[in-house]
Amino acid sequence: MTDTEVKKTLEIDEAEKLLPLVLEIIPGHAAEGLIDIYEPGNYEGKSLRKLCDRTLNKKNLSIEEQLIVEDVNRQLKGGKLLSRGQEIEGTALEYAVSEQTEAGEKYLYVPIRAIKPQEGGKGLFIVDS
Amino acid sequence: MKQLLDSDMELVVESDFIYIPLLFDPEIEREIQGFQSGKPLESPGKPELKSIIKFKGKHFIKALNLHSFIDNYEAIDSYSFQRLRNECLRKYQLTRKVNGHFLDETLRAILFQITPYFIKKNKGLNRKKISDEEILDLIGEKTDIPEKYYKEAKTFGDLKPLKKFLEGLRNQKPLFKMPENGLHSGRKLRDWIHKAIQAKILANEHHRIAKSLQVREQFRQAKPEHIAVLLYIADTGAMEIDGFGFTMNNAYNGEYLIYKRTGDYILKDYYARSYLFPDCRVAVSTYSPSMPFVMEKYKHPFLLGHKSGQEICMKTFAPSNEFKAENVIRTLEVGLTAMRYGYNGRKRNGYHSLDKMWVHIPTIDFEDYRI
Repeated sequence: MTDTEVKKTLEIDEAEKLLPLVLEIIPGHAAEGLIDIYEPGNYEGKSLRKLCDRTLNKKNLSIEEQLIVEDVNRQLKGGKLLSRGQEIEGTALEYAVSEQTEAGEKYLYVPIRAIKPQEGGKGLFIVDS
Repeated sequence: MKQLLDSDMELVVESDFIYIPLLFDPEIEREIQGFQSGKPLESPGKPELKSIIKFKGKHFIKALNLHSFIDNYEAIDSYSFQRLRNECLRKYQLTRKVNGHFLDETLRAILFQITPYFIKKNKGLNRKKISDEEILDLIGEKTDIPEKYYKEAKTFGDLKPLKKFLEGLRNQKPLFKMPENGLHSGRKLRDWIHKAIQAKILANEHHRIAKSLQVREQFRQAKPEHIAVLLYIADTGAMEIDGFGFTMNNAYNGEYLIYKRTGDYILKDYYARSYLFPDCRVAVSTYSPSMPFVMEKYKHPFLLGHKSGQEICMKTFAPSNEFKAENVIRTLEVGLTAMRYGYNGRKRNGYHSLDKMWVHIPTIDFEDYRI
């Protein structure tokens, strides 16, 4: 299944809902983005959009992270935040998948892309047949 | 002569001339009696050069001058000369391609500015900017580089042989030592001739050697693994990691096509029915960067036909004509976004509509992508 088609599927069980949440906001088609980690208790019940806004407005960012935020904001001028092929709405858990670090520590991961729409083509002339 | 040099037949070298065995023939036997005067030649190296000499009881006839043979080898056997030349330049990593690639600003921009944007650089949750050396490490890890490039990297890093050769040229030392007078097997003589020809080739390429040394000095501190990566890229002209890659543009020397794969993706038509589009490579050329295009034979609402190399039709996008990493990244992204997210089934924007709406006008059909 492609990421365009993936529905908001929960691939996590109840126990995993207590894991930390890792958000990654990726500008455009870049491979990597800005990472933010929310401890359990800090993200439940909050909308994913709100978490993204909070991440993008963080103050203590490194220079590299600031550059990513700039890039994300450039894409967001008229653009959208997409996760798994669709515009984000609802909570983070609806988009999260369970992953683990090399050390075996589990976490929930939500990748979000900031995409500036690029409309293609010209409008078609409707031919009345 | 070539056959003689490829054999184990014994030939005589006498004062820079090759003498070949004189075939026995009663007529010749009589004839050479007339030539022979004095004692047979037992100790070679005498200045008088006869057409026929006797050495260890056998007769040899003067065939060719070694200097003249080496000087004119290109005209005598141009195919073999070219092979020797290529082998020699390759041995010392002196092909123009290698030097060109190591100094190529376009390739450097692709490797160290564009590639890092599109490939996953960090393991786990670390996110940090990585250096040029780390990029080369990453390419080495993610690309299957044949062992021979690691061996060649060692040759490339060893400046001594070329420095010594250039020094010899500057001091006007003879390029090669002539073979000693006396008996030599054909093969041994052939090997000597090849070495002498290669020494002459190197002498003719002294400008290239000097330039190559200059380049290698710059990379003196580089790890052999990094040199191997660069040699591999110089040789193949292409690389692909994590769906991002580039390939040499055959139409324009020194130019590249930089691409990113879309992966499979789904578009919806007017009635919200889904169509699964296969992966394709959206590319941009470094030669006068222009509109992004699809490398494969492909069909899409934003492509006019169903063939390869079609430009993606986009509204309000004017690509920059200046080759800069950020321009290439932007153009590629715009192309990718248009292909994956730009089609609006309700607006039916593009050259073609996903759902069949042209009843009488033939257009591209997407029914086979319907899921």
